[in-house]
Amino acid sequence: MKTLPTGQYIPGDSFLHQLEARAKISCLFLLIAAVLGASSFWGYALVLATISTLLLLSGLPIRGAVAPVRRISWFLLIILLMNALFFEGEAVLASWGIFHLSRGGIEQGFRVVGNLVLILILGNLLTMTTLPTQVTTALESLIKPLKLIGVPTEEVAIIISVAIQFIPTLLEETELIKMTQIARGARFESKKLSERAASFLPLVVPIFISSFRRAEELSLAMEARGYRKARNRTKPKKAPLAPADYTALIVCALICLIQLLWRG
Amino acid sequence: MSIKIEKLSYSYTLPSGEKVEALKDITCSIETGDFVGIMGPTGCGKTTFIQLLAGLRSPTGGRIYLDGEDINVRGYDRNRLRRTVGVVFQNPEYQLFAATVEKDVAFGLKYNGLSRSEVTGRVRWALETMGFDFEKVRAQSPLALSGGEKRRVAIAGVIATKPKILIFDEPIAGLDPYGRRNFLQFIRGMNQTGTTVIMVSHNLEALAEYTRHLLVLEQGRLIDSGPTREVFARLQQRNNGAFGQTEAQRIVALLAEGNLALSSAIITYDDLLSALKQELNGGGAG
Repeated sequence: MKTLPTGQYIPGDSFLHQLEARAKISCLFLLIAAVLGASSFWGYALVLATISTLLLLSGLPIRGAVAPVRRISWFLLIILLMNALFFEGEAVLASWGIFHLSRGGIEQGFRVVGNLVLILILGNLLTMTTLPTQVTTALESLIKPLKLIGVPTEEVAIIISVAIQFIPTLLEETELIKMTQIARGARFESKKLSERAASFLPLVVPIFISSFRRAEELSLAMEARGYRKARNRTKPKKAPLAPADYTALIVCALICLIQLLWRG
Repeated sequence: MSIKIEKLSYSYTLPSGEKVEALKDITCSIETGDFVGIMGPTGCGKTTFIQLLAGLRSPTGGRIYLDGEDINVRGYDRNRLRRTVGVVFQNPEYQLFAATVEKDVAFGLKYNGLSRSEVTGRVRWALETMGFDFEKVRAQSPLALSGGEKRRVAIAGVIATKPKILIFDEPIAGLDPYGRRNFLQFIRGMNQTGTTVIMVSHNLEALAEYTRHLLVLEQGRLIDSGPTREVFARLQQRNNGAFGQTEAQRIVALLAEGNLALSSAIITYDDLLSALKQELNGGGAG
């Protein structure tokens, strides 16, 4: 609660803040493709340079921007180890039973973890510089073509935005409930695995209950304020894309293209 | 269990890099068996303060001593601390999770090393203290009870461990006047059996009537502390009663405007009543 959840919007007027959300989301996908497409040293150098530039342009504190990476560092370490030990690569350095430590495995592990870290930072940059409402409107207009095949795009957009907006609230509530149960004598830090697993029940049940309560309250509040399904709602006026947005899109598309060419 | 707090501070950094000082340099002490109130406007750090007292957060500066022992040093037995200090948070009913009322109340006793019959005895005592018929309620699901009942079950779950220090965060917010009175009487009862009670509240009448000492927080600082009556009298002078004035004090101020001067020591309705009686009967004092 006291350290605000990662990924939350931070007001600012940097270049990234000013880009149109539609352009930003499209750029995000292009850059994710570029990250996944990187295969050589120069490929990674290019995406690293791009992300560093974006970090500088965002004007955000570096610590905040890379916070989600630190938060899941244990998970990343496990992925690294799994890849290193199970990958059936050549140049096996050592093996114990089913485990094979190979050069290829280590490389693969670093590649997977590296990709994850870069994608996380990119995603975080989007949510830290874009208001949730802007993300929703942008998503809504980006998925609009799907309406042709019968997807209720407006509802989908609402669902996504509500889900995004509730993440900080739920995190905050989780921490409060955790504290309450610890004060009552719960032991989340117990060393025994069985005890630890059982100790999550006092956390999970109240969080479930409160999520349902919140969902109900929210739906009532939305109805009370006139929300109806499948009605055309007026939207905030959509700003046309500015030259800066087009530039960003073209640059990102180029990076993506270069990556694919290097690969091929 | 006496509590000594020295230069306690708590600060944190927002992702934007901004540093927030939730508590600054708080020094005070709470004696065994005392009934202490904590007051202050929303966002003044009251909740953070009690979370620190209960050892749920670690301070960024200063020390908290429980019977002379620093609770934040490495090697301090946190589990013993949990049994010594009980906390009833705002909306305690959100903590309920077990399949039956009995199991939920017994949750905190799991690691106490009590025998099964002792646990049942404690649960019975806690539920009966909270006004339940133990046999009737023990096998019910706590989640199926009414809002008020849930709250009482949750509190039973806290007092079941018989903590020596009980902390209440806004215990009477959202209760009707009758429930409020009942609950305050219950807290007083716990205090009279020797439990040290710390109560955070916005209800100045309750603080004036029930607490013996007050701590006043404002923007993370301790701006006043001492015996309740003295603190209220000082607050009245400090900012002309803009903040921290009980209804009785307000009435006294209004009467003073109408040329009826009463003692400035009047804090509660009872004070006011006896002063007015004296005024009417004797007529001489004013």
